[in-house]
Amino acid sequence: MSTVRITFSALGKRFGAHSVLKGVSGELRPGCAMVITGPNGSGKSTLLNLLAGVMRPSSGAIDYRQGETPLPRHLWHTVVGMASSDMAVYEELSALENLHFFARLRGLGRSPGELERLLCELGLEARDLRRPVSTYSSGMKQRVKLAQAVVHEPPVLLLDEPSSNLDERGHETAASLVKRFRPHAALAVATNDPREMAWGDERIHLGQ
Amino acid sequence: MIEKTTWSIWHWLLGAWMLVVVYGAFFYAPTAQGFVGESARIVFFHVPQAWVAVLAFCVNLWASLRYLARRDPLDDARAAAAARLGLVFCVLATLTGSLFAKVMWGEFWNWDPRQISIVILLLVYAAYFALREAVADEERRGGLAAAYAALAFVTMPFLVFVVPRIYFSLHPDTLINVRGEIDMDGRMLQVLLAALVGFTGVFIWLYTLEVRVARVLMARRRREENV
Amino acid sequence: MFAKEVRSELRARVAVNAIGLFGLTTLVAVAYQIGPYQIHEQDRPHLLAALLWIILFFAALSGLQRVFVKEEDAHTAKTLRLAASPLAVWGGKLAFNVALLAALETFLVPLYCILMRMMVQGILPLIALLAVGCLAMAATATMVAAIIARAAGSGTLFAILAVPLMLPLLVMLIQGTRMAMTSPAWGDILPALQGVGALAGVTVVTSIYLFPVVWHD
Repeated sequence: MSTVRITFSALGKRFGAHSVLKGVSGELRPGCAMVITGPNGSGKSTLLNLLAGVMRPSSGAIDYRQGETPLPRHLWHTVVGMASSDMAVYEELSALENLHFFARLRGLGRSPGELERLLCELGLEARDLRRPVSTYSSGMKQRVKLAQAVVHEPPVLLLDEPSSNLDERGHETAASLVKRFRPHAALAVATNDPREMAWGDERIHLGQ
Repeated sequence: MIEKTTWSIWHWLLGAWMLVVVYGAFFYAPTAQGFVGESARIVFFHVPQAWVAVLAFCVNLWASLRYLARRDPLDDARAAAAARLGLVFCVLATLTGSLFAKVMWGEFWNWDPRQISIVILLLVYAAYFALREAVADEERRGGLAAAYAALAFVTMPFLVFVVPRIYFSLHPDTLINVRGEIDMDGRMLQVLLAALVGFTGVFIWLYTLEVRVARVLMARRRREENV
Repeated sequence: MFAKEVRSELRARVAVNAIGLFGLTTLVAVAYQIGPYQIHEQDRPHLLAALLWIILFFAALSGLQRVFVKEEDAHTAKTLRLAASPLAVWGGKLAFNVALLAALETFLVPLYCILMRMMVQGILPLIALLAVGCLAMAATATMVAAIIARAAGSGTLFAILAVPLMLPLLVMLIQGTRMAMTSPAWGDILPALQGVGALAGVTVVTSIYLFPVVWHD
């Protein structure tokens, strides 16, 4: 799997007159986990959105490099996996259908068996995989979201409060996911949970 | 940046030119045949206004595409400035048009294809600003507004060229008529051309003024943020 | 993408219900209030063509605008944005809107002809016009829907943005339908058919370039 390195410098984001993020710089490297902390409204999610390319910065620049070659913006999404509270999966489809759909969109030929194994690895029961997601508990939904983020084994993984809605066992699932990706992927976790903060090799603190 | 003195020279020249146009429109040009009273004189104002409305639409498209390519916030400000002026001139052209319609045809509004065309252009401009109002994120606002402008631009030719020719229109021939000839008295034509140049000048003046204001505002905000 | 849209829609049935019921209600109201005999013989082609497209247009507006708004509302838009190439999303949504509109037309137009006693001389030309009209309308609606999904107050905004863009289309469609009612010759409907076809083509080509911008901003 190819590795991706993301450098960002002097990032700022403004919504109207309100400035959310100002002059943030850093680097995401393979094999290194970055933890982004800060109080509510300090721009943790905004920073992840900018890094994923789903939002444009008001100032500053982001640079993706795959190996040595720069990656244009419209291809960023192919190397990124992301899970956050404002990224839902389709309620009217089952977990398996959801995952199958997202794998197909990414051009992956995953067999149902592989997808089922991934979902079970993330702590879902095999018997639940075929009913609509709308009947799931919020913890189960969170696991489907995580599965969606890693189905393509992305070299960049961005997690926004990964173990929110998860119980103790769920937290361990998220931790093992981080552990599995950490050696080769560039990882960023936005969190204020002290257990999750312990995952990080580097830390960016946002706030006034 | 053009020097200040050059600016003010152009500024005064434009004023003088417009005075000449106004005098010409009322005294130099002869009374047109086949129109009620002196009503045809409105052509010297109506046609240039409609022309500027369309010109502004094109400038808006140019700035919008440039914004999409380079993502310079100033280009977004340029697009907005052009659209704002386009809206004003569009309203003026509609008003002068319906004044003429009242005198000539007895009603302010006749559902003439050309009246419909200009009103739709007006609606497009209005929709453009409604869209801008509704988006808080500035980077997103620029992109969406530019996309809408481009989409509107490609559908407008269907309106201007397809619709009026299928219908019967009361509107006097446009400057160059269907036979491809210019059918107008020589002195009227001189004044009309002068008015076109003058109104284009007014547009350029107002447009550069707006862009300069936007530039200053952006510079000030940058300074404030870096404090 | 298209398969997922259809499957989702079959389970939730929001758009189909909205569009179908809206179309049916207006049709019944028009047919009951105006009926086939209230209109003078010489006005029939004119009025019937206009009424038909007004019904189709508003029924379509109520359903087509949902395609992207529903993704934003359900918070699946961001997931989708990160998973798929913009063109795949656009293609899927456009195909879905075309299918929705085509279903509406096949259901509503025959019903309208029966209820309003609308006699059509050129049935094949009319079908051709309905087909290109469907594509043109769906293409415009898809683009506008994508724009408004990212703005606040999207419901009202859709009508504001879509109406000026669709008016030329609507005028051409009404003229073409009138021609098809009075004459079976292809030659009479050709100008309208060409106009609508060109508009559909232009909108599709422009969308291919513009959609990625709108989608990723």
